[in-house]
Amino acid sequence: MTLLETYVFRNSGKILAYALLISLSIFVLFPLLFSLSQSFMTNQEVNRWPPPMIPTEPTLDSYRQLFTQPDLKLPIWLRNSLFAAAAYTTAVIVICAPAAYAFARLRFPGNNLLFGLLLLTIMIPGQVTLIPNFLLMRDLKFLDTFHALIWPGAANVFGVFLLRQFFMQIPRELEEAAVLDGASYWGRFRHVILPLSTNALTALGIFVFLAHYNDLLWPFVVTNSLEMRTLPVGLQVLNSSYAGQYRPLVLAGAVFATVPIVVVYIIFQRRIIKGVALTGMGGR
Amino acid sequence: MSETTGTVPKSAVARPATSRLHLPLSLSAREALAAYLFLTPFMVFFLIFVVRAVITAVNMSFYDWQILRPGQLYVGLDNYVELFNDYVWWIAVKNTIVFTALTVFGTTVVALAAAVAVTQPIRGQSVFRVILYMPTLLSVGVVGLIWVWLLSTQFGIINYLLSFLGIRPINWLGDEALVIPALSLTTIWWGFGFPMLIFIAGIQSIPDQLYEAARIDGANGWQLFWYITLPLLRPTILFVTVTGVISHFQVFGQPFIMTGGGPGRGSYTVIYYLFEIAWRAFRMGYGSAVAVSLAVIIAIFTAIQFRLIGRRVEY
Repeated sequence: MTLLETYVFRNSGKILAYALLISLSIFVLFPLLFSLSQSFMTNQEVNRWPPPMIPTEPTLDSYRQLFTQPDLKLPIWLRNSLFAAAAYTTAVIVICAPAAYAFARLRFPGNNLLFGLLLLTIMIPGQVTLIPNFLLMRDLKFLDTFHALIWPGAANVFGVFLLRQFFMQIPRELEEAAVLDGASYWGRFRHVILPLSTNALTALGIFVFLAHYNDLLWPFVVTNSLEMRTLPVGLQVLNSSYAGQYRPLVLAGAVFATVPIVVVYIIFQRRIIKGVALTGMGGR
Repeated sequence: MSETTGTVPKSAVARPATSRLHLPLSLSAREALAAYLFLTPFMVFFLIFVVRAVITAVNMSFYDWQILRPGQLYVGLDNYVELFNDYVWWIAVKNTIVFTALTVFGTTVVALAAAVAVTQPIRGQSVFRVILYMPTLLSVGVVGLIWVWLLSTQFGIINYLLSFLGIRPINWLGDEALVIPALSLTTIWWGFGFPMLIFIAGIQSIPDQLYEAARIDGANGWQLFWYITLPLLRPTILFVTVTGVISHFQVFGQPFIMTGGGPGRGSYTVIYYLFEIAWRAFRMGYGSAVAVSLAVIIAIFTAIQFRLIGRRVEY
């Protein structure tokens, strides 16, 4: 064996791993970079064969159109998405964390019954509740308001499971010290449990936020005015009216919707990557 | 319904402060009272938007429920009879099952391969992890817009790349036989990062000594994977495939954005069909029957998976 052959043989596992990971990275990144690049092209250039990868004369034309077309309200859709997702995330944490504490630590009659009920509903696909909750929103006159985007998903069963699991791992002794100091149940929860759970709470918050930000079907059915649409729904509007005549505009819309996500991802990438393993949630 | 609500004694919840101050409650009673108070906000939302909604969905499926009509008509099992004779529903079920099978299989294989590769002692592990997880964070709207264009027959980059292999342009989203695989490919690209991270955590929890012992016995890389990694990952694989089946059975955004259910009804999925029935034809009762039937189908497939993969998870 030559030196090179020996090296290749010894490291065949590593070489295979690199080959696989690099090809997968290209598979993942290429569609994103290709769309980004084509969003700076003119419509004529995009409709060319072979498909151009780099704009010959980069133009911001499609981005200008994105913000000037009267039927496109991307800044408002972005604001709606961010506001609704933030309010929803707050609601989930505020509602689910105390419930999780009760299930994790407190003894009360009906404990198993209630927890069993929660377990049961997790087996039922979420879309079963779509029609009844839509009709309830209609009856409450919540259609086309933020209420419809915030409240129906606030009782996040998965969030309760996750936090309960996390709270149970916190040593009881830490709470008992607080009891000696005369802390109430609320005091123990607020000043012992919550400060020790910031990792789990942040991870849950990030995933719940992203899932809400990316949701399509529910915001599509409960909103109908152009001013109440969320970003994913707005992208569908953009796609159906402009894909045929002005492709770069559609791609620019996709880029616009992705930038906030990428920013969040860059800031929180460690927490997100760790959070997946911690929570078993993926962000949609 | 009222019985379920009864498990949270409203009376106890209504007068917490007075009972704490005036009633000499035992320690356990006080603990129970606190628990109910902690649970109340959650239970209110849970009962309204989950329990009530599920019961209502089942109930509505026995009605000819037209959204614009004041009184609703009880029709017994008629909706379900209609469902079984509805060839569009069968098309939607078939498409959904094919889509789910392709997507879950593809996602699991790609995610597992990526996880094994990224846990090798190589440089840049965290960079690869960050890159490969990225698409998972995108909205289905964004993913759909990007992939429609990549898959375009006339100007699509995928057909361009295939032309180097001498393959003529393929009408991915306009061919009944190819549209579901194309949506599946899109979904694998979108979603394999999540199971990949789950698999990475699973692999990292396997004790190193097992691999060392096997290496001393002369096992090669493939044998290590086949006889140690794979069997020990069985519970993880079960988790990934069960959650994958449940979520992909509810696929909606991909056909909605990318094909509008077409060509013809080539990419109708169950939830897409439910959407058409409920929000285009406003037949909420029939739509509820579709939703309930989907829940039953998912339950059956989950049970099958537990049977197939779930046995011997006690490694």
